[in-house]
Amino acid sequence: MAVLKNTQLKFLIPIGLLLLFPFMRIYGGEFARGSPFDALESAFLIPLIPLLIFPIIAILGQVYNKEEWWKERFKEGGMIAICGLAIALSLTVWLAIQFFTQGTGGDDALRWSLFNWISFDVLGQTADGTWVTMQKDVALGVGIWVDPLSLMLLFVAAFLCFLICWFSLGYMNTDPINENRNHRFYAEFVLFSAGMLGMVLADSFLWLFIFWEIMGLCSYLLIGFYYERPSAAYAAKKAFLTTRVGDVFLLIGLLILYDLYGSLDYSVIFGDPSIGGTVDAGMLKWAMLMLFIGAVGKSAQFPLHVWLPDAMEGPTPVSALIHAATMVNAGLYLVARMVPFFDVTAHGSGVEGLGDVAIIIAWTGGITACMAAMIAFVQNDIKKVLAYSTMSQLAYIFTGLGVSLWLFNNDHHNAAVIAFGASMFHLFNHAMAKGMLFMASGSVIHEMHHAHDHVSDPGDHDDDFDAQDMRNMGGLASKLPVTATAMAIGSASIIGLPLIGGFWSKEGIIAEVWSATAIYGASWMLFPAFLILLTAGMTGFYMTRMWMMTFAGKPKSVSAAHAHEATPWIRTPLVVLSVIALLGGFLLSLLGAVHWLGDGEALGSALGHDGAVMTVLETIKHAFLPDETFLLLVTWTAVAISLVLGPMMAMRIHGGRLAKGESAHFGIAWLLPLSTRFGKSDVTALANSGVADALQRRLFFDEWYDAAVAATVIPLANVLAWFDNRIIDGAIRGIEWGSQSISREVRKLTTGSARDYILMAVVGTLSIAALMWRAAV
Amino acid sequence: MIPAEYLAGLGAILFCIGLVGVFTRANAIIVLMCVEIMLNAVNLNFVAGALHHGDVTGWVFTAIAIAIAAAEVAVGLAIFLALYGEHESISFDDITTLKH
Repeated sequence: MAVLKNTQLKFLIPIGLLLLFPFMRIYGGEFARGSPFDALESAFLIPLIPLLIFPIIAILGQVYNKEEWWKERFKEGGMIAICGLAIALSLTVWLAIQFFTQGTGGDDALRWSLFNWISFDVLGQTADGTWVTMQKDVALGVGIWVDPLSLMLLFVAAFLCFLICWFSLGYMNTDPINENRNHRFYAEFVLFSAGMLGMVLADSFLWLFIFWEIMGLCSYLLIGFYYERPSAAYAAKKAFLTTRVGDVFLLIGLLILYDLYGSLDYSVIFGDPSIGGTVDAGMLKWAMLMLFIGAVGKSAQFPLHVWLPDAMEGPTPVSALIHAATMVNAGLYLVARMVPFFDVTAHGSGVEGLGDVAIIIAWTGGITACMAAMIAFVQNDIKKVLAYSTMSQLAYIFTGLGVSLWLFNNDHHNAAVIAFGASMFHLFNHAMAKGMLFMASGSVIHEMHHAHDHVSDPGDHDDDFDAQDMRNMGGLASKLPVTATAMAIGSASIIGLPLIGGFWSKEGIIAEVWSATAIYGASWMLFPAFLILLTAGMTGFYMTRMWMMTFAGKPKSVSAAHAHEATPWIRTPLVVLSVIALLGGFLLSLLGAVHWLGDGEALGSALGHDGAVMTVLETIKHAFLPDETFLLLVTWTAVAISLVLGPMMAMRIHGGRLAKGESAHFGIAWLLPLSTRFGKSDVTALANSGVADALQRRLFFDEWYDAAVAATVIPLANVLAWFDNRIIDGAIRGIEWGSQSISREVRKLTTGSARDYILMAVVGTLSIAALMWRAAV
Repeated sequence: MIPAEYLAGLGAILFCIGLVGVFTRANAIIVLMCVEIMLNAVNLNFVAGALHHGDVTGWVFTAIAIAIAAAEVAVGLAIFLALYGEHESISFDDITTLKH
């Protein structure tokens, strides 16, 4: 062990906990209670441990943030955070293993009630106006709900929280700007993890909402981590207020649901969403729409998308975790939770006539996908490109979910399950790939920053240098080989390179949307179907453009020429996620993830009767050579434009060989000479056109919202301010003036002379005596 | 034998004299004397009651009241001494600190 340096030893702590904790639980449990380990009983620890760590880091950090041991041993709280997240991840894995080996026993989900939070009696007014107890001992409980949907998202969240915390140890702790305040970052980070893990495991919409708001708070705090920068403070406010618009609608939706069902527990609502056909479809439609608007705010969809690009003001790990991989998926999770309401097939008991909501969801998704991809064309900030890409990919999932809900509501069970599974699978693939892409961009920014500090004079602070601007990069493929490879794999997954994770899910969504349109007669879905097909090609363009601008060609600044890869804390998560993006999605799709993510019962049959080889062949044939001719056409059109047309155009504009003497990693070396084969386009004219300008300025959404706010909210606020100043404050001032003048008069009676007081006492006594005299007579 | 009504009337007159003295005089010692007059006016009322009812309780009350009044005068004079130490005067016209 002596050969291991101190920094390397630290790696072993979280990994050791990751591996050892379940055994401690297993053997500890056997020893203490004599009963075998039950992962479900421990599931409440998954959100609870990060929640308990939050105050520990915050308080210790506040007290000891100047101490050497706090910085060296505890990495300003990072070690505590990663240990807690390692435990949460290992519990999640054990929960998943237990779920997949034992199943739910024919139930909707594995459930575990912890305790009743509040219990109360419901009062109601009868016809004659008296209040009586309608229901006794209604309880708002706390419990765990595990089904394939929540388990998938739980794993994504726990896994990425762990990896991104690991990344943060390399990224945050080496930057002098964060010194002495990293404990704030880690404290908010684990609080966010608790919120996300809790939201996914919650067994009622009430707890979903509570954890949802915790996440919103952490998002606000972490975007504003560099609060001394006005842009960061502004972005934090913007994100908070924009998502708040959605949250208000979400709350309204939940109140409608409570009114309809008398409970917010999944077990009550999903038991029979139509309660034997008595639920009013018109009212339920409004509830669904309100929940969807909440999801739109959280997942940054049109028209509440404006906060996400600005949210990139936060530290890069925050962008990776919250604004790409986990929190923005909360909205998708909420929409996916709506399935039982829509499911009118023989398997469910939903409510008919909710198809309009499904169409709105799909349209919102389609419009956002296309719009965000267009704006991503012209962004020069590497993180902003990824932010718009996130919006666009989330919109894919919304489109898939909308189509799935429509199919559920129109009694096409099998197609609906596949659309749902494809959407959830895309969520998984996108979270993994985008988390990695953001970490890779963080690596690039980190190294650019270091190189800049290195090459510039220490005294000469060149504040104009932007380490995130891709126009300063170029040629980094040879300097940052691991990062460049990781980013190429992540981009390939997002673009949908055949056989890589993202391909299966994205093709699945496109194919299902088109088959819903053509086979099942959802004519309203034609518009989003066209949009997402178009977006597939646009995705190919902007992801390739980003990669080429960053890694190909010759260095465009002195700093880029001097960058080099250093920290192992940063490289490890990139490698892990590259492997997952490259192989994980592939293996899962071959194992039929698209089927069992939508329908837990299909898990057993996915491998059961046909055998593994047949399943694999069946999946590949289904993906590349579907039976319907038009699906074949759609599939290959998508592949052609996303893989050939989009990337080729990007390469023509931004591609290029490396500088002389530089060479890239063997995995990506072929890309760079290939990029020059397509020739070169000069896009100066195009880049200066009005269209590019409009896209640069994000299609003027910020201006429109500012104008709308200026036209509505500000005049209203002025009126209210006038009312407040004049009427309310005036009334208060009047009361104050009146009492002042009265007291000024009354004060004169207080002479301080004992004789005057005696006189008053005598007069008082005499008057009382006189009154009693009168009463007696 | 003096009728009880006369005694009560004398008590009322003495009480009014004491009251007027309390209101009009500034010197604390005079005021204290006036208060004593009022107290003894009340004692006379007790005596009148005792005579009227032929009951000894009134006498007993009077004896107790005189004993307590003696103690109270001592306390009052001590307060005046303290006041004099504080204000260099025992005139009620000079002492108006109650309004603070």
